[in-house]
Order: sequence, then C-alpha cells, then structure tokens
Amino acid sequence: MGIRFRNVSHEYSSYTKKTYKAIQDINLSIEGTNEFIALVGHTGSGKSTLAKHMNALMFPTDGSVEIFGSEVTKKRNKKIKYNDLRRQVGLVFQFPEYQLFEETVEKDIMFGPLNFKVDSEKAKTLAREALSLVGLDDSYLNRNPFNLSGGEKKRVSIAGILAIDPKVLVLDEPTSGLDPYGRQVLMNLFSDIHKKTNKSIIIITHDMDLVYRYFKRVIVLKDGELTFDGTPDKLFQSDIIEQNHLDLPNTVKALKQLNEKLNLNLDVYQKTPEAAAKEVRRVMKHE
Amino acid sequence: MNSIIIGQYIPGNGFFYKLDPRTKIIAIFFLMISVFMLQTIVQLLIAIGIAVVILLIGRISLFKVVRGLKPIFILLVFTFIFQIALNTEGTVLSTATMHFNLYSIISAVLIFVLWRILLRFGKFKILLFLAFAFALYFNFRYITFQPDFYFFQLTIYEKGVEMSVFVVLRLLIIITLTTVLTLTTKPTDLTQGLERLMHPLKKIGFNSEDFALIISISLRYIPTIFDEAQKIMAAQASRGADFSEGKLKDKLKQIISLLVPMFIIAFMRSEELADAMESRNFVPGEKRTRINILRFSIIDIYTGLFTLACFAGTILVKVML
Ligand SMILES: Nc1ncnc2c1ncn2[C@@H]1O[C@H](COP(=O)(O)OP(=O)(O)OP(=O)(O)O)[C@@H](O)[C@H]1O
Ligand SMILES: [Mg+2]
Repeated sequence: MGIRFRNVSHEYSSYTKKTYKAIQDINLSIEGTNEFIALVGHTGSGKSTLAKHMNALMFPTDGSVEIFGSEVTKKRNKKIKYNDLRRQVGLVFQFPEYQLFEETVEKDIMFGPLNFKVDSEKAKTLAREALSLVGLDDSYLNRNPFNLSGGEKKRVSIAGILAIDPKVLVLDEPTSGLDPYGRQVLMNLFSDIHKKTNKSIIIITHDMDLVYRYFKRVIVLKDGELTFDGTPDKLFQSDIIEQNHLDLPNTVKALKQLNEKLNLNLDVYQKTPEAAAKEVRRVMKHE
Repeated sequence: MNSIIIGQYIPGNGFFYKLDPRTKIIAIFFLMISVFMLQTIVQLLIAIGIAVVILLIGRISLFKVVRGLKPIFILLVFTFIFQIALNTEGTVLSTATMHFNLYSIISAVLIFVLWRILLRFGKFKILLFLAFAFALYFNFRYITFQPDFYFFQLTIYEKGVEMSVFVVLRLLIIITLTTVLTLTTKPTDLTQGLERLMHPLKKIGFNSEDFALIISISLRYIPTIFDEAQKIMAAQASRGADFSEGKLKDKLKQIISLLVPMFIIAFMRSEELADAMESRNFVPGEKRTRINILRFSIIDIYTGLFTLACFAGTILVKVML
C-alpha cells in the first residue's frame, strides 16, 4: 500500500498555448508509513503538479497513480470514491488564503473532519488536538483566522489537514514565508509527528539546510523529470546538485570554503552548525 | 471552461486583426442595426451569406464560431419553441392533439433514456437533440391509447414557423458578428477603442477614461479569478469538500468555503494593484499618454465603405419594399 506512480505524465492544455508537459514519465513508490521525503527542484520543475497527483486532485494525462489500492488514471472511475482518497492522503497548499473561510479557527479546522462525516463533538476534539500539534494554544480557537499573522495562518491551515488524520501528509512549501525560528519549529513539528505516528510525510521545499538535516529521502525533479531518488547524503555528495540547479546546504558550503581558503582537510558533510564546529575543532586539534 | 469562445480573444493576424478597433466597433454597430431592419427570411439569408463572406475574408474558421455558439444553443432552442408555440398569426399549418397517457409517457421516458445513452457516444450532439425533440413530438402525437391523463391541441401557424426561423437566424448573425469582434480584438484594444469613441461624452459628465480603465482591469482579472477559484476548490477538496456530490446542506457550506476565500483574495489583489499603480505614479483623472496610439489605415476606409454600403442597402430595401 501507499502511493505508486507508474509512468505518470501530466500535460497542461490551454486554449492558445501549445500543450506543456509539467511532469513526464514519473515512476515513484512511496510507502504508506515511515517515509520522510523532501521533494525538491527548481521553480517550475513540476513539484506542485506531482503533489496534486498524490491525492487525486489531478488525474494523470498518461500512466497511472495507485493510491492506497485505488488506481487513478486519466478517466474518472465511478467505482473510486476520490473523496476517500483525500482522507488517506492530506495535501496542504502553499498559501493558507486559499482555504481559510470560517469565522473562528476552531470551525475552520473542523471543516475537514465534518466533511468526512465525523460527528461534531469528535471534530471539536480533533480540532483542539490538531491546533496544539502545530504549536498554537487553545486561546486561538475562538479567534478569527483572518486576523492572524501569516505564520499563524499557515499553522492553522496545516492543522486543518492534520485534523483529518490522513495516513500520508503532503505539504507544499510549508516553511516558505516563515521566520527562521518558525521554520525550525515547524520542521521539528513535522519530524515529531513523523516519529510519534510513523505517518509518511512528503514536504516540498527549497531549503537545502532543512533537506540535509531532517529528511530520510529526497526526490529531485528537473523540468518535469525525476532525476534523483535517494538519501540526502548521497544527493549532496554527488554532482547531481549542480546539474539540477540546486544549492548545497550552508554547513557544507562553509566547510568547503574553509578547506579551500585555509587548506584544511575537513569532512565537509556535516548536517548542523554544531557538528560542523565539532569537525573544525577535531581537525584543528590534529594540526 | 476552455470552450467558452464568446468574448475570448484568439491571437492571429488576419484582416480583422489589422483593423482599428474603433472601425470594428462602429462597423459592427451599424451592421447590427441593419440586421434588425431586415424583414424577410430571404433578406436574412442574404445577410447570412454576407456574414459568411466576412468570416472567409477574416480567415476565421466557421467551426470556431459554431463552437462559440454552443453556450447559447439552449437560448436558441427556447426562442424557437416559444415562437412556434405562442405565435397564432397566419394560416394554420398543422394541428394535432398531443396525448399524454400511460403508454406515451413510458415511451417518452424510453426515448429520453435512449437520447442520454446516445449522447455519450455521439459527436453530433445538436443533431441528436433535434432528433430527440422530433421523436417526442411524434410520440405524443401518435400514441393514442386511451385513457389520456391530459391532452391539448398543438396548432402550428405559418407565421409562428416563419417568426421562429426569423428570430433564430437574426440571433445567429448578431452573435457571429460580435464573435468576429471579440475573437480578433484584444480586450485592451477593445476598451481603448470604446474609450476613444465615448470621449465626446465627457461634456455630459461621463468620464470614458475611468470607464475604460475599469473595464480593462476587470477583463485582465477574469482569468486570474478563474485560476484562483480552481486553486481554492483544490484546497477545499483536499479537506473533503466534494463539489460534485453531497446533500444540499453540505453543498451550501462548500460554496461558502469557496466564496469567502474568493472575496478575500479579490480584495487583497485589488489593494496590491492599487498600491502598484500608485507607486508608478498613476493619478486618477490625470492625462496620460499611450503606448499604442490608434491609427486608421486604408483598410479601415474599405471597411467603412463596406459597412456604409450594407447600411444604405438595408435602408433602401426597407424604404422600397
Ligand atoms: N494551471 C496550469 N496551466 C498551465 N500550466 C501550468 C499550470 N500550473 C502549472 N503549470 C506549468 O507547469 C509547470 C510546473 O508547475 P508547478 O506548479 O508544478 O511547479 P513547481 O515545481 O511547484 O514550482 P514552484 O517551485 O514555483 O512552486 C510550470 O512550468 C508551470 O508553468
Ligand atoms: Mg509549487
């Protein structure tokens, strides 16, 4: 079980322009549990398009996506309850403005569970739990979602999906637009959720520091094609980085500079500033 | 959504693309008046011939225009039916009793089902619809087993048929003409043309520049708003809002979940736009220069002459006959 892409392509068509393949011939397998995946690639590489295929918001124009046993193809299949697939795979969009609409945060978070026929008492509890999961306390429950700061809105929108309790969680750039501290907090949160519940989590991001530090697996897209699927260690040690217009994590970049400028022999592949400092100390001691 | 062609510009470079938008607007205006002055079907058929010639000159495919007619097909059908059923002038063409009894209703249902099934395979949906309408007519007319639950006399008058053909033809021509205009004129050019044409109205307090600005901004944002609506629907669908199924009460909630973000985003966009315009020194009411200045050329004169000829011709016909 889980999500399986088989030769999936998606072609956007529009009236005037020629058709344009946003993703091409993707083969990919994502387990239903225990995955912590970063989806990276340059702007316009097809990440969001790929993500929308994971909960059947989009149908492939070619190939098929198997989502927890249901085969999603080009044609709408009457036997498949697409709504149910969205309960299994929750997708959080980049901009919270696209989903917040209720008068209170509590009601807004309850919208998802209620749509999936959870009774309203249970939905209330779920809303409260989801809100505390994203690090907001109960005082937010009765606030108007439109009066929140950007970061708070983002958290509420994430809580809105968490309350549905999907098996797999897909987040489209959840950390963009947040301050550095908020980014850390949110990443720690996803990491915690993953560790506690073993849910598979897929996160689209441009932040290589986060990718290196937190994730078990990285998928790289370039111009709609899947060019890498493996561990962050393998990614950053290979030359795939430059070919795909990606950046190295800051720690690696800094250590590489040190090696060059000071002629040191540091092991540059350190995930955190602390680890980097330790490595520098180790080498300095030797000298 | 992509099939909506009315009011949609398609880039190209035929004859009508080179024409000044002012010429096009004026020409269409006068041609429409001409169409309304026509009085017989023969005259209308000639007008249709001219319309087809216009399409050929502009190398606009007939197919595209016909596809553009799809959204208003229902309107045409209703006009047709009302004219036939309600017009009681002229000689009687046919009169028949429509029988509603158990058998005719059952077979009508069967015809309906057959129509829906054929619709799935068929490409000629319009023809299929006409066949369906005729089948229903003969069904109620000839299945006469008693007892009838209900029956009525359907009398078709000569004038009714004539008028219904007349009205539909007239609508067809008018829509074709406007489609030529909107298909070949960029929305911005269209508003600029309108603005120039309505400029004299400034004397009576109508500011055509503001008006043109409002129109062009609205036009500019229609695709954006469609786009946003789709994104919002996707975001809400991820939270289980199923816009295609569900009970009425759930539906209402789902529509609200679409509308509220739409409004909020629209307000955000408009504020951003206002800021962007102000920071580029836009002052309402001030005089502005243009990037593209409209200029008449020789083809505008030809078009003007052609329009004049059509218009004069129609007046002549009206006066003479
Ligand atoms: N609705 C659409 N219609 C036509 N083309 C589209 C549409 N949405 C996306 N595209 C095109 O498909 C390509 C992939 O878009 P996508 O949004 O998946 O990129 P992305 O990797 O998520 O980029 P970003 O990092 O900027 O979010 C882009 O080139 C984009 O122009
Ligand atoms: Mg994206």
